[in-house]
Amino acid sequence: MTTQSARSSWLNTRRGQQLLENLTAYLFLSPAILIIFIFGIFPVAFAFFVSLHEWGRFPDEYVGLAQYVKALGPFAYVLFFWIGIACLTGAGWALTHLWRDSAGERRGLLYLIPGASLTAALLAFVNWFFILLLFLMNVPVRLRGQQVTQVSFLNEFYASFQFPQALAAAEIMWIVIALAGVISLLFIVLIKTERRGHQLLQSMLCFTLLGAGVLILQLTLTEIQTAILAAQASGESLPIWSQIIVISAGVGLLGLAYTLWRRGIHADSDRQFVMQALIAVLLVVGGYLLIAELPRALGQIDRDIISGFNVTVMLTIGTVPLQLAIGLGLAVLLFQNIKGQAFFRVVYFLPYITPFVATATIFSLLFSSRPESPVNQLINSLGIADQNWLREPSGIFQLIFGSNVPDALAGPSLALLVVILYSTWVYAGYSTVIFLAGLGNIPKEMYEAAKIDGANGWQTFRFITLPLLSPTTFFLVLIATIGSFQAFSQIFLLRKPGAYEAVDTINLYILEEIRRDRPDYAYGSAMAFVLFAVILILTIVQNRYAQRRVFYG
Amino acid sequence: MAEITAQSIEQVESIATTQQPPKPFRIGDLLTYAVLLFGAFLALLPFIWMLSWSVMTANEVSRGQLIPNQILLQNYTDAWNRANFGLFMWNSVRISVISIVGMLLFCVPAAYAFAKMKFFGKNILFAVMLATLMIPDVVTLIPNFLTVVWFDRLGQSIFGDVGRWINNWPSLTVPFMASAFTIFLLRQFFAQLPDDLWEAARIDGAGHFRYLISVVIPLSKAPIMTVITLAFIASWNSLLWPLLVANSDDWRPIAFGLSKFVTADASDEFHLQMAASVIMVLPIIVLYFFTQKQFTEGIASSGLKG
Repeated sequence: MTTQSARSSWLNTRRGQQLLENLTAYLFLSPAILIIFIFGIFPVAFAFFVSLHEWGRFPDEYVGLAQYVKALGPFAYVLFFWIGIACLTGAGWALTHLWRDSAGERRGLLYLIPGASLTAALLAFVNWFFILLLFLMNVPVRLRGQQVTQVSFLNEFYASFQFPQALAAAEIMWIVIALAGVISLLFIVLIKTERRGHQLLQSMLCFTLLGAGVLILQLTLTEIQTAILAAQASGESLPIWSQIIVISAGVGLLGLAYTLWRRGIHADSDRQFVMQALIAVLLVVGGYLLIAELPRALGQIDRDIISGFNVTVMLTIGTVPLQLAIGLGLAVLLFQNIKGQAFFRVVYFLPYITPFVATATIFSLLFSSRPESPVNQLINSLGIADQNWLREPSGIFQLIFGSNVPDALAGPSLALLVVILYSTWVYAGYSTVIFLAGLGNIPKEMYEAAKIDGANGWQTFRFITLPLLSPTTFFLVLIATIGSFQAFSQIFLLRKPGAYEAVDTINLYILEEIRRDRPDYAYGSAMAFVLFAVILILTIVQNRYAQRRVFYG
Repeated sequence: MAEITAQSIEQVESIATTQQPPKPFRIGDLLTYAVLLFGAFLALLPFIWMLSWSVMTANEVSRGQLIPNQILLQNYTDAWNRANFGLFMWNSVRISVISIVGMLLFCVPAAYAFAKMKFFGKNILFAVMLATLMIPDVVTLIPNFLTVVWFDRLGQSIFGDVGRWINNWPSLTVPFMASAFTIFLLRQFFAQLPDDLWEAARIDGAGHFRYLISVVIPLSKAPIMTVITLAFIASWNSLLWPLLVANSDDWRPIAFGLSKFVTADASDEFHLQMAASVIMVLPIIVLYFFTQKQFTEGIASSGLKG
């Protein structure tokens, strides 16, 4: 009875309530967080780890950036060099942020010390974990040739922790963690500032980026060194450094021209001329550097990746504008007081929710190469000869203007055109529904004001609807672009023998690395990361663009 | 005249906009309807074709006819039996039920915690969770496969065949039991619930758990239905991941069954392919028609806030 009341009275204090709330919250969160961590966050680090090895069914030796060099040629070094620099820049940015934040309270900067030690602890843990992971993944290899029983796997599982390297890493980890714990506790008890959690996290972010940048740069620089030495040994020269310098200078000059152009818009007319001349010079020089060097650097990219990206880009260009235009048109029409709006919405959305497998089956029959297929019958009645559609790898312009059109201008293949039509059919309704919701968010007063000002229908659309709809449009462009870079199931289902290469996006090449008899997980992971980098860059560019153009009312 | 204030004009106008009098008929309206109907026709055309081919004879299909001479319902039973759809359908039902139950158990409390509770590291956790939405599936595909294979061996050595992951329900369902998107969608709804409700419940002596069960969930039927529908569609649709982690028919889903039937078993019998497609699509369409209002609204609102 007394313990009961003591407990409840302690729980009723503010501290007790806080603790209880924290515990309950983490109880609620832990299963979801655990699953998201194991299958959503950890895999990114794991995939990078895999891509640094030879990795068939089981891990083999560490090969550094070799998989990326196989995928991108020497351009991989340029890429990683810049990723390292970007991490260091990020660290510097986080540091200046911290400095500015704690200007009024210099003591906040002292939190760099526990931040550094906690980051060191984190890195030590990651180091130990990935060393251990290699041994864990190799358990089946070590059991090869033995009679495998239930117990033997578990024994080898425990044995993985006992390898000298794992033990050494564990020892370092425990020491660093203990030190970090003591230092952090000391600081938390001794130095009390406001927002210390914030300061601690920011300094940890800073040091994590610093650590990542240093590690990546070190890896890249040693790789470049060995590559150059190896090339010299065989009597060739490998112009990696000059490539890095030239390409970086080219990109840098173009960037500078862009910033000057942005500034120059607000400059007065005297300076404007000087500005424009400067911009022109920068553009020409930067562009020349890039044109001179990029093809040589990009020339050694794996053919599969080039073809995969080609297809992806054509698919994106073919699908996204078409899908958005149809969606916008239908949404604007539907948004008027239309009878049966709900009916149309349901119907337009139907292709999007129907399983890919079924709709792709219908499309492969509609666009089959048989002369009796509905689409062939249709074009026959228009006086056009039968086409092979999904089995046709040649470009549409070659089909229209004859085979003397050069390959570079051949355009998307006929097979890809069918995939584009299919994707548009699937996603146009989705865009319609999202645009419809966006239209609903535009305040009615805007239209009334426009009506009073005497705007006609087109003017209202151009100057009211389009600008106010821009957040929705931006969202859809982003989603559709990323979606088409990730396009997978529809292509897997629509690809037909004879035209695989014409429709295979990079995802399909990755799947092939996994599904063949001797899978190459390392190369697959490296390709996946290249794709990830491209998607990330696209997202950032679109975001920058949107910051200027999108009107968030 | 002086009585006509700005307010009353506004009232009149709002009435006018909500209850529009029957407009005079215009040519423009006719055009609008024509375009909209044409769009609907294009959206439906492949479905119409699927339906009519699914009841034809093989001959009629190969002639490319659109209207069947007679309606052959036998195609459906043929397709069902030949494609072994009984098994695949049962597998898909099992997979989706397990993953939906798991998803509700794990995501609803997590979304509630993010929406209504104060705890250490909330913003960071939420940001990290949202960041996972940026990661393309193809990056996580290989490592997740390696992880699942390894879990399979570990589970087998501890629990025997019951603990297997490959060719068993865990590999097909556990990775989908918590998704950042689901948690985000539910959180957006939970966050809109007024805090007064929680104050009242707390005065009545309810804790977070009781409040979640007896107040929040009953008030959130619409978003929960949306999430269930989305999860069901996703699991009915999923093909690639099952292709990797299920290599016997014991746990292969319906999407695999249809794609195998179409490419291998009945690659020349188009009428049976279409009948099988109709069977596969039917549960999704039925579910969609029952939940379409909440569903499209859920998608639209979640999309816009993302």
